Amino acid sequence: MKKASQICQSKLPDNTALKQQQLPAYRLQLSATGVLSGFFATGAFCLGVGIILILSAKSIKEIEIKYTKICANCAELREDAINFDKECTCSIPFYLSETMQGNVYLYYKLYGFYQNLYRYILSRSNSQLVGTDLKDVGNCAPFSKSHNGTPIAPCGAIANSIFNDTIILSYNLNSSIHMEVPMLRSGITWWTDKYVKFRNPTAINLSSAFTGTAKPPFWSKSVYELDLEDTENNGFLNDDFIVWMRTAAFPTFKKLYRRLNRVQYFIEGLPAGNYSFNITYNFPVTRFKGEKSVVLSTLTWSGGSSLFLGLAYTVTGAVTWLAAFSMMAIHLMLKEKRTLFIER
Amino acid sequence: MWRWVRQQLGFDPPHQSDTRTIYIANRFPQNGLYTPQKFIDNRIISSKYTVWNFVPKNLFEQFRRVANFYFLIIFLVQLMIDTPTSPITSGLPLFFVITVTAIKQGYEDWLRHNSDNEVNGAPVYVVRSGGLVKTRSKNIRVGDIVRIAKDEIFPADLVLLSSDRLDGSCHVTTASLDGETNLKTHVAVPETAVLQTVASLDTLVAVIECQQPEADLYRFMGRMIITQQMEEIVRPLGPESLLLRGARLKNTKEIFGVAIYTGMETKMALNYKSKSQKRSAVEKSMNTFLIIYLIILISEAIISTILKYTWQAEEKWDEPWYNQKTEHQRNSSKILRFISDFLAFLVLYNFIIPISLYVTVEMQKFLGSFFIGWDLDLYHEESDQKAQVNTSDLNEELGQVEYVFTDKTGTLTENEMQFRECSINGIKYQEINGRLVSEGPTPDSSDGNLSYLNSLSHLNNLSHLTTSSSFRTSPENETELIKEHDLFFKAVSLCHTVQISNVQTDGIGDGPWQSNLAPSQLEYYASSPDEKALVEAAARIGIVFIGNSEETMEVKTLGKLERYKLLHILEFDSDRRRMSVIVQAPSGEKFLFAKGAESSILPNCVGGEIEKTRIHVDEFALKGLRTLCMAYKQLTSKEYEEIDRRLFEARTALQQREEKLADVFQFIEKNLILLGATAVEDRLQDRVRETIEGLRMAGIKVWVLTGDKHETAVSVSLSCGHFHRTMNILELINQKSDSQCAEQLRQLARRIKEDHVIQHGLVVDGTSLSLALREHEKLFMEVCRNCSAVLCCRMAPLQKAKVIRLIKISPEKPITLAVGDGANDVSMIQEAHVGIGIMGKEGRQAARNSDYAIARFKFLSKLLFVHGHFYYIRIATLVQYFFYKNVCFITPQFLYQFYCLFSQQTLYDSVYLTLYNICFTSLPILIYSLLEQHIDPHVLQSKPTLYRDISKNRQLSIKTFLYWTILGFSHAFIFFFGSYFLIGKDISLLGNGQLLKPNHQMMFGNWTFGTLVFTVMVITVTVKMALETHFWTWINHLVTWGSIIFYFVFSLFYGGILWPFLGSQNMYFVFIQLLSSGSAWFAIILMVVTCLLLDIVKKVFERQLHPTNTEKAQMEEDKGSVSSAYEFAESKHRGEDSRHLLAEACSQQDSSCVH
Repeated sequence: MKKASQICQSKLPDNTALKQQQLPAYRLQLSATGVLSGFFATGAFCLGVGIILILSAKSIKEIEIKYTKICANCAELREDAINFDKECTCSIPFYLSETMQGNVYLYYKLYGFYQNLYRYILSRSNSQLVGTDLKDVGNCAPFSKSHNGTPIAPCGAIANSIFNDTIILSYNLNSSIHMEVPMLRSGITWWTDKYVKFRNPTAINLSSAFTGTAKPPFWSKSVYELDLEDTENNGFLNDDFIVWMRTAAFPTFKKLYRRLNRVQYFIEGLPAGNYSFNITYNFPVTRFKGEKSVVLSTLTWSGGSSLFLGLAYTVTGAVTWLAAFSMMAIHLMLKEKRTLFIER
Repeated sequence: MWRWVRQQLGFDPPHQSDTRTIYIANRFPQNGLYTPQKFIDNRIISSKYTVWNFVPKNLFEQFRRVANFYFLIIFLVQLMIDTPTSPITSGLPLFFVITVTAIKQGYEDWLRHNSDNEVNGAPVYVVRSGGLVKTRSKNIRVGDIVRIAKDEIFPADLVLLSSDRLDGSCHVTTASLDGETNLKTHVAVPETAVLQTVASLDTLVAVIECQQPEADLYRFMGRMIITQQMEEIVRPLGPESLLLRGARLKNTKEIFGVAIYTGMETKMALNYKSKSQKRSAVEKSMNTFLIIYLIILISEAIISTILKYTWQAEEKWDEPWYNQKTEHQRNSSKILRFISDFLAFLVLYNFIIPISLYVTVEMQKFLGSFFIGWDLDLYHEESDQKAQVNTSDLNEELGQVEYVFTDKTGTLTENEMQFRECSINGIKYQEINGRLVSEGPTPDSSDGNLSYLNSLSHLNNLSHLTTSSSFRTSPENETELIKEHDLFFKAVSLCHTVQISNVQTDGIGDGPWQSNLAPSQLEYYASSPDEKALVEAAARIGIVFIGNSEETMEVKTLGKLERYKLLHILEFDSDRRRMSVIVQAPSGEKFLFAKGAESSILPNCVGGEIEKTRIHVDEFALKGLRTLCMAYKQLTSKEYEEIDRRLFEARTALQQREEKLADVFQFIEKNLILLGATAVEDRLQDRVRETIEGLRMAGIKVWVLTGDKHETAVSVSLSCGHFHRTMNILELINQKSDSQCAEQLRQLARRIKEDHVIQHGLVVDGTSLSLALREHEKLFMEVCRNCSAVLCCRMAPLQKAKVIRLIKISPEKPITLAVGDGANDVSMIQEAHVGIGIMGKEGRQAARNSDYAIARFKFLSKLLFVHGHFYYIRIATLVQYFFYKNVCFITPQFLYQFYCLFSQQTLYDSVYLTLYNICFTSLPILIYSLLEQHIDPHVLQSKPTLYRDISKNRQLSIKTFLYWTILGFSHAFIFFFGSYFLIGKDISLLGNGQLLKPNHQMMFGNWTFGTLVFTVMVITVTVKMALETHFWTWINHLVTWGSIIFYFVFSLFYGGILWPFLGSQNMYFVFIQLLSSGSAWFAIILMVVTCLLLDIVKKVFERQLHPTNTEKAQMEEDKGSVSSAYEFAESKHRGEDSRHLLAEACSQQDSSCVH
């Protein structure tokens, strides 16, 4: 029999599940009960997560102080690029009413500064930053070479426009004792940035490594002078520099500047009391109608300060339940109608 | 010069003389007074490409497609100007699309090459240098003498030189050319007919002059100049000596012919029409959507450009201190910058046009069409035929059909003519088991029971009587009855044009008309199946037509051979609708036998049971039988002489021959004596009634177009359920004049208006139709549209096509489908939107010219209701989804421009831009569009009304399109602003680095933001597809979840390595950092849920409040919850059964199966 069917080359199509479109399958139907239970479950989940997120966000303490207006004289000075070498400092006292528990982070925040411009983002040289080729400044226009033709290191618009205010937080224990709050300058970047993407050129010391390059035009000091105390934090490996080089997505952004070194008085965090920010004002923002602020904040497991995520979850959960209830009402009504119809 | 260029390009045919001169066997004259003509070789080329021109030609053809051309332009723009995205982002997808299409087309062309090679490489025997040489078909040159053996196909157009018969005649069938299955006789010129051996042919010196190749199969003019003993004989050549390529030699052992047209110049090749490009309604709406998207794209680019320049009017934004312009930028002209900015935005947003849409649609159609061929339900066991797909472009059109035009004979019916009944001399007989049994009310018994007994007694009576003589019903008037029956069946077996083929072991499945009913080894070939059925019936009864040679017809009456001298044949024509023969009986008497439609025979009869026969004929017609009347008259020798003379005169008349002949025929065929009538049944195909009923329930209007006569057509219509008994049948027939026709039409329209409750059926005949179409198209269409069933009878092939064209161009522009099986249906099959060929008995002409070919009419219901429905749903969702996912894709990019001063910064990394359409989101939709079954196929087949839900291209209406587009936009807004508010606005939110180590605070930049949006988008878009999928097979699971997993794995991999060849290291560790943030996960989940909730809520509400029939059926099905696994097992069983059956059948006729 088998032989016969082999010899006879029939055109009979194969009876396989695929060819007969009869693959075993689960039929997904949006049935009323399924959808309703799904909705209730989703709603419960969203509400739960939302409440948890809100509660955890509540525990976050945050202080933001805009200092463009407070330091108006400095801002005015920086309007004009000619005054670049005149130093201007500004002190902003403030009172912390509650202790900031745990890790405290210090940020600077810029308003109206577009780090996401197409040309701006392009204007950097990765091969230079990774330390392999200091002379590669091809993409860095218009900040690729200095007037005398030496390549700029680090080249490009991003590096050139680095945020160069110095912010020092001091704690006024009482009217006489002003102590600088100990801050860590390192550990604020991505590990991969610090140890893979950014490398200093190899040489006996940093300054010789950068010979034959010029500092960016807006910089007051060379790249190998960024942190003279800590060699691990100098040159391209400077944390502030690396943080700046990660361009922000929106014109209003904040970037991590320092984190609290929890020693002595500050083992628990920042105790309540009088503080002041001592700011060396270098970065001009009034030219593009921008603003600067300084932010102190704590963190929880879920992230930063905003309530938005928690609120969004809560609202979504509530809306889901609302939809579920109205669907259930309609479903029941229709069912009643149908049974009535059948009874008749 | 210009002319030369045009010639080279093929616009002008090269200048040629009107005739070609062919030297037989290429023996050119010695004196050199000839100009050698160049002829092409005998290669048939149906392929489009060669190895050399494939790349340029295919590329050229692909870039003629608007979408591909558009992407090419974008690609070039990217290469030329400085744009935010690299040329790879559009170059790679374009390359991918082009490559996939090229592979598909290359594969199809490779198949064509293969079949060409098979044809061109077929062995043929050619006479060369005095011997037979075996060579390949493609090597035949014009002038070669070719030998063809029996049942071989002619490899070129040949002029017949000689055959194995003395008179130089041979028989061929041209079934594959024009669908005519009768044997045709071709004759050679007497001078060459005697040259029956290779050696003698070698002595032939002759020249053929003939016209240049033309496509008309039936026209050929030429002459042969034969040089014999220093003198030239000129013989005219006509179509009767031309053997066409593609025809098959029958009944003749071998022939010799000289090739005159070869290769692409043969009539077959010239008739080969490249398939007209039919485009489906879906493709048309797809193009509309593309244009809408193009408009969206351009307006987005314009808005962006304008906003960019308004913004830049302020100096602080034009050139902030931290982003100074380069020298080059400052110096370039403003207009140039404006244009290049516009182009850059165009490039940035160009992904809104789904690049892979076309290629996915093409793959879907190509792969999806296999399911039709694979379908066991469309497999016909008896003929071992499965459904065949000739064009995959129209799959979804099968779900859109609004009008079905069907042929009757061979399509609704089996086209197996069976002699059923006859009426001889006013008495009705039925054929039962090869014997005639009188039926109906006979004078002595009116009771049904008695008549049954009566007929039984007849049976017994006959069974022993027929062995000795003819039929008798009662001994008294025996002689007279014998005479009547005898004459009747003699008339049947003499008055025809049937050819005979007495071969014993002809290959099965070869000739179209073999019948296992024919006694002994006789095989009849006839142009009309009716004639064949009649001759066969006569043979069964005992009067066997044995053959005709020269001028005699041999008939064996109950074993006794009789020779009739065939004096004249008065051929059948459709005006007279009858034919007759004049024969001389062995006794010397001359008879005229006539056969024809009752309307053309009865009026000319003067004797016989005219009234009774008329009643019987009507009864036959009511049963749906095809009737013919037979009559005869005896001619005195004086009468015959006059007839002979007048016929000769008319036949040789130089002017108005036709009219004169018609007059003579009319003169001859009168004062006949009626013998009786025959009734032949053409059995209805299986399940025709159910199929037509289903079509009607599906909202499809069914028109039957037939060449049959009015009464037969109506009765078949009734029996196949096309017309109901309850239907009010309107008639528009026998209209002679324009005004009469108009009046009748107006009356019909009024009648329809008056009672619109009842269903109406309309019967039109060919002549009335042509009148109605000539002047009163609108009125006619009005009437037709209000009729639920229309029957057109007496239609010519071209009329069929014309009716379809008329419906096609009517204001509603309905989608039409034509079904037919014969060569006469080809024109309508090609005219209709979808052409279905029935692989029946009338050759394969229809099947070959159709878009889909099926074995039986009943398969139409599965083809339309299941396959058509599925394909439509699949492709409609495919198209909508593609636009949706690209809106989702590119709108965030557009929105981002508002936050980056329109500086054209991309939101996504260029690798993501490139791979979104070709990797991350391509497979789920493709698999969906191949496997989706939104309802169980059995439900679809059993509920044809569901077909109405997708009529009028509903799934692709502007409304649904807008819904999908708006959905896309709103999803895109959620992606972008969700990410913006949840993450982007306050970066610290992303803050805490690793979930488990909350003491790390990481900064996220623009690439992280883009990746977040992209991740949400890939998940949402894939899950949205999952929500659309009703039929979840393991493949769906694999590709859906696989796509998401692939995206994650790919991103981890891509971000995990510093790729040396990528200039920017933007994405390094971005994805990993993103995923290590807890709040990012929360944000992703929230956004996906929000996007889909909206959609689900809308869906559920719509389902609950206004469910469509399909959705109702889905819900019912859900309640019934038929286990599909069980069904599968059952059908598997069924398949095995049929396999067993087949195997058995095979083992029985093993000999015929082993090839």
